[in-house]
Amino acid sequence: MTQTASQPAPAPQSAGATAVTGRAANASVVPSSSGFTENVPRLLNRIQTIGIVACVLFGALAATVQLLGWQANGRAAENTEQVVRAQEIQSLLLRADAVATNAFLVGGLEPPAARAEYDETIEKALRLVADAAEAQPADRQVLADLNATISDYTTSVAQARDNNRQQFPIGIAYLNDAGTLLRAEALPMIQAVVDANSERAVDEMDAQHPWWLIVLTLLTLAVLIWLNQQVSRRFRRRVNAGLAIAALIVAILGVATAIHAGVRNDRNDALRDGAYRDAVDAATARTAANDAKALESQGLINRGSGATYEAKWDEQAAAVDDSGVLGDLWQQYVAAHQQVRDLDDAGDWEKAVELATSTADEAPTAVLNRFDTAAAERAANAGAEASDGFGSGDGISLALIVVTILGALAAAGAVTRGIDVRRKEYF
Amino acid sequence: MRLKTGLATFAALVLLAGCGGYDETTTPKPEEPAAPSAAPPPDCTNDASALRSYAPTGDVGSGKSVQEIKKSGKLVAGVAGDTYLLGSRNPDDNQLEGFDIDLAEAIGQKIFGEPGHVEYRVITAADRIPFLQDGTVDIVARNMTVNCSRWEQVAFSTVYYDAGQKILVGSGSGIETPADLAGKKICASAGTTTVDNIRTLVPDAEIVTAPDNSRCMVKFQNGEADAFTSDDTVLAGFAAQDPYAEVLKTERLSQEPYGIGVRKDRVDLVRLINQVLEYMRADGRWKASYDEWFKDQLKVPGVQPPPVYGR
Repeated sequence: MTQTASQPAPAPQSAGATAVTGRAANASVVPSSSGFTENVPRLLNRIQTIGIVACVLFGALAATVQLLGWQANGRAAENTEQVVRAQEIQSLLLRADAVATNAFLVGGLEPPAARAEYDETIEKALRLVADAAEAQPADRQVLADLNATISDYTTSVAQARDNNRQQFPIGIAYLNDAGTLLRAEALPMIQAVVDANSERAVDEMDAQHPWWLIVLTLLTLAVLIWLNQQVSRRFRRRVNAGLAIAALIVAILGVATAIHAGVRNDRNDALRDGAYRDAVDAATARTAANDAKALESQGLINRGSGATYEAKWDEQAAAVDDSGVLGDLWQQYVAAHQQVRDLDDAGDWEKAVELATSTADEAPTAVLNRFDTAAAERAANAGAEASDGFGSGDGISLALIVVTILGALAAAGAVTRGIDVRRKEYF
Repeated sequence: MRLKTGLATFAALVLLAGCGGYDETTTPKPEEPAAPSAAPPPDCTNDASALRSYAPTGDVGSGKSVQEIKKSGKLVAGVAGDTYLLGSRNPDDNQLEGFDIDLAEAIGQKIFGEPGHVEYRVITAADRIPFLQDGTVDIVARNMTVNCSRWEQVAFSTVYYDAGQKILVGSGSGIETPADLAGKKICASAGTTTVDNIRTLVPDAEIVTAPDNSRCMVKFQNGEADAFTSDDTVLAGFAAQDPYAEVLKTERLSQEPYGIGVRKDRVDLVRLINQVLEYMRADGRWKASYDEWFKDQLKVPGVQPPPVYGR
């Protein structure tokens, strides 16, 4: 049996010891199907409690979803910075190796400028390792191992340099050992840090959940509508004002927070495919380019082994090509490198070395330096843009979280008030 | 009240979940490189006949191989680049120098009648036979031991130096005989017969291997090995670069007769090289080269082995 507002039900029957007042004559209570009459005050209490809990739960969960999204974006920014930092370490170490190897190729004493650049590059790399360890506790163990390996690497380079200075050929063995240590042990460690933080960053970028907020809003609205139905069945009003206001607040909050989360989600996708990808690609290209230059020198140092090292050079060149970063500058280096190889392959090793170690503007070293500088700048700028992008809009996010909580409390208050009015009507 | 407690607990759990505790970053374990297998035992007999080469008779220098080299304008020589005294890069001027380099130069000079026609390729020990077989190099002058199994794959000149396996130790280390190496670490190039020789001689020694001789020396200098075994010529070169290293004055653990390697079918080139070696004996260039590179280090007068022909 149902009750409509146009056709009020008979006056309420007494239920147990409940007194029936004159005002209650305006309300109605539907007997249960079992024939028992309802305890209306208790029913109103239950409706009120369910309404308050629904609003508060909505507020808590919606705020939590937003909070998690806000935290995730913050971590996406931090993880992006860590990826850029780790790739910078990788590039710096290969840069140092390229400088040390090329300096070794110059007969006699190492040029002071090359030595200074090597020292400065290693120092930068070590400082970044310390920064990275501080930034992400989960990377600390690998970075501690990396620190020890860099120490072994620099020791080997120092031993190579000391032997070379005394004109002992065993210096080459130390230099080769250093290069092997760098590539076989240090680089996999840095790659592990890059991979782990890339995965973390991408996971966090996907942590905006507009659909969760929509579902949460719809569920809360369904509860409030159901409660309104329960009330309207028993009283003349089709709509309970308090429940209606609560539903309106929830709907507005739901739409606003879902739109905000959706916008952030889209922006995250755009950053991931834009600035973040640019930063990673530029750093990858820079790393591969420096590795290629070191391999060019290794091929000449190990005289006659150009073909062996050229195969490895090709792999690094393919990595730069695939990245599509600074194609024109890279092609200039490729052309300069090809001249070195052509000379060496034609048996003119001395000329090949002369060109590979020349500081002339169009020689491979100078061209690669220009590529390195441009790629480093691009990686740093794109990384900063991505990191800033993930971190932007924090004020709105936090304000929305606060508004959600306050709005949910206001909705709960409206439910309380709306049911109180019915209660007063009943009594 | 219970509701408040529940909400508080929920909020705390949510905050904890949102703190971003990641799994610790780990480095994937590198694949263990396969241990190089020791050289298989020869299926031929290493007697005096293994040292026989082709006599420099007939019209030496007019054969097909030599003509091909003359036409190309260069003699490509596979040499060592890190074996001091035999073949190594001089850090001062970047030029290769050593006893083996002198031999390659002499061969080049004989073919072209003037110096400057030798193109050097620094190769590893493992490259020697494949590079001869595929024509990457014309000759190998890289402390290459002549033996019967190698004769099945390439050809050799007559022996130009009789080397032998010895042991390098630290000065004042207390190691004076191979027996003193019991319980100590000794490094040898992986996959060479030197490993087997030292294992037979001192079974209680711990053998450490490295990809090449230079890496063994690095291990020795870094304290990862107490001793290092290789040919006496190679060890002499390393001892010359380390005042705290010395080669034990013991009997050679094995005989390592060096020859110039050539592709098996280029017999005319072998005959020409054997003629060059005889000229070097006659005009004193072999002795001069030995004195320049080895006399001070090996502390014995050098004697060029007599040629053995008959192949």
